[in-house]
Amino acid sequence: MLYKTNAKSLSILTAIISWALLLASILLSVESTRQAGTVKLVLPYIDNLLIVVFIVAVFVSQRLSTESLKGIDFISYLWNLFSKAGVAAYLSVALYLGYRLSTSYANLSSPLLLHIVYHINFGMLVLFLAKAFYIWRQLLLYHKSRFLQIAWDWFELLLGATLLLTLLNFNYTSFIFLPLLALLGIYILFLCTNLKWVAFLNFNNKSRSLILLGAILLSCYIFARFFYQLSGSPELVIDYTDVGFLLLAMLFVGTYTLAAFLVSLFSLPTSSVFEQKSEDLLNFQRLSQSIQQGQSEAQVYDMLFESTIKAADASAAWFEVIRNSEPEVTHLLNINNEQTDRIRHLLLAYNIHNIDYINNNLDRNPGFRELLLPWKSLIILPIKSKKHLSGALYLLKDIEQGFDRETVNVLRTFTSQTILTIENLRLVTESLQNERYKEELKIATQVQESLIPKTFPADSWFEISTHSAAAKEVGGDFYDFLQLSESRIAIIIGDVSGKGISAAFHMAQMKGIFHGLMQQDMAPSEFMKQANSALSRCLEKTSFITSALYIIDYRMKGFVFARAGHCHTLYYNAMMDDVFYFQTEGLGLGIIRDKSYNNHVKEMYYDYNPGDVMVIYTDGIVEARNAKNDEYGEDRLKYMLSQTYHLEAEDIKYAIINDLQDFTGPDNLYDDQTLLVIKFKLTQPNE
Amino acid sequence: MSMKITNEIKDATIIMTLDGELDASSSVVLDEELSDPEIMKYHKILVDCKNLHYISSAGLGVFISHLQRFEDAQIKLIFFNMQDKVRNVFEILGLDLLMTIVGDYEEATTIANE
Repeated sequence: MLYKTNAKSLSILTAIISWALLLASILLSVESTRQAGTVKLVLPYIDNLLIVVFIVAVFVSQRLSTESLKGIDFISYLWNLFSKAGVAAYLSVALYLGYRLSTSYANLSSPLLLHIVYHINFGMLVLFLAKAFYIWRQLLLYHKSRFLQIAWDWFELLLGATLLLTLLNFNYTSFIFLPLLALLGIYILFLCTNLKWVAFLNFNNKSRSLILLGAILLSCYIFARFFYQLSGSPELVIDYTDVGFLLLAMLFVGTYTLAAFLVSLFSLPTSSVFEQKSEDLLNFQRLSQSIQQGQSEAQVYDMLFESTIKAADASAAWFEVIRNSEPEVTHLLNINNEQTDRIRHLLLAYNIHNIDYINNNLDRNPGFRELLLPWKSLIILPIKSKKHLSGALYLLKDIEQGFDRETVNVLRTFTSQTILTIENLRLVTESLQNERYKEELKIATQVQESLIPKTFPADSWFEISTHSAAAKEVGGDFYDFLQLSESRIAIIIGDVSGKGISAAFHMAQMKGIFHGLMQQDMAPSEFMKQANSALSRCLEKTSFITSALYIIDYRMKGFVFARAGHCHTLYYNAMMDDVFYFQTEGLGLGIIRDKSYNNHVKEMYYDYNPGDVMVIYTDGIVEARNAKNDEYGEDRLKYMLSQTYHLEAEDIKYAIINDLQDFTGPDNLYDDQTLLVIKFKLTQPNE
Repeated sequence: MSMKITNEIKDATIIMTLDGELDASSSVVLDEELSDPEIMKYHKILVDCKNLHYISSAGLGVFISHLQRFEDAQIKLIFFNMQDKVRNVFEILGLDLLMTIVGDYEEATTIANE
């Protein structure tokens, strides 16, 4: 950066010094010619060197300053060129006219003054050319290809090389160089065909650029005319038209300006088409990006409405959103509700409601003619995905054949993009909603897990091992225990009919009932009666709960239990070496909701022996099915216990669960499964 | 597996044949069938369970929820031809003591006409 600034100041300084020296040298030679008789002092080589140094310095400084110009605001480029360099031409005219006026008024000729004016104008010409040259370079290389960049670099190099002619004082008009210069001229013509930037101007900008380009063109003309008029003038000791470089630079600047002017002028009538297309493209982009920007459906419809009206140049339009299969007009343009109602009724009568429909000559249709509408063309664009109709767009035009195929294609692209956007927006919303539900369910799962005891009191007189698996996030199976006294423990198992959330709620309720009632230490049958009475008031009609409650007393070496519609208890009696199910009667809870339930629950007392095993489970175990739709069944469960009773409770449980999973196959859980294995031990606690 | 329910009307009796599996989804259909006010015109409902292969707790729940209503309206609900597997489910829950479950159609009509 520092280097650049330094280089720029240095080149400006060099330009000023060389210009001043050149002026001094010219004035000196003028003075020497005036004093006739003395030896004519001509120093062409030094003059030429100074000219070249000046030109190079100005071009370098302009090259450095235009490099900072960026962006696609082409009008500002043109304005920059005109305001900073183009006006120099007008100044030079003013200066020359001032000189002519003053000399003719005073009626004297001052070659010194003429040379000063001529030399100032030369300075301004070089500045103008340098500025124009590099600004045109920026524009010419807009959207450049590699080839164009190389072509331009060569052009700059070749043009620079022509300065050598001046430096060595060759006459470029000699026959040797003329063909070479002509070739360079053709090269310039080729470069001047690169005018891509003009296409990116809209109508307004093109009009403005035409004025600026015209002014710049005039500047070129003024400079050219000024220098050619004075060329060969006997009064002047120096003639800058001899500098071939300036001629070529002028040729380039002039041709390019002219080409830009003409292209702008002739593309003016078609610019609206290009503008429309680029706006359509921009609107597509906005529509497709609206998901990322978190916009709502209403905003998407706003965009659709605006974009399609612009794309079709519609004179009237309305948009209706379909909510609960009722249309609701959300956008209106140049049409009132009464008119939309009439059109909609007519379409309903024709049974062409909410379908793709184009009528490019409404007057030909008697139905539309009767409505006395000021429009002649109508298009209906439903916003419709495969299964869902979100809305319909109606566009009207006051001319016949208003919607040609090209326009319809663009409109359809808009609507399909809108459908896609709306669908995606809905999916995003839905997935967010689902995510929230999942989170809630996760919490429910955690809450439910906390309701089921993880550890039973460790005691030496019995072992207990548990297994539970819910088919869904939450389930209706439960088990729990309560230490009633030092030697007595109550164990409950239950299964709420149904699955999922409602079952989980009732399961939590049942746990509350268990803890509430068992604080009073009651017999299992009494518990069932009271639980039935409590549940009768809160269970919905089709729900019921099966449960079994066991109170084990190790001091008495026995347990008492009641079964309320729950699966039969599987038991291994070590003394008799027998595996069997307790066949007791008992009705599920919530089936009969009055006092008569009391007759339907029985209680049983049983003495246990060390080594006895009790297996308590829910129907999810015995009703588990395999691929062939066979049930696991009570018999297989019984067989499993008869093979494993000698093991620890934990190992019996694993043996049964593994066998069950072998039977059903993996990932085949349709009902909640709970299994408790209790094994009575020989060891007595220290008393 | 879906459920097919067919009703046959004989005098004041409806013979309802259940064919398939009575699970959570098919029990909704059964509930609609039993909730039909027309059904209250008949005094006997005989349910043929010959082709009922499975009954879930939801299916049992439907029968339970209508039990009291039928009793109050003095409508007899009789199940017959029940498969052992299904009968076991009724028995475990204790429903065999509340509902009338008999062997075959003749037995059912005899009890119904008592």
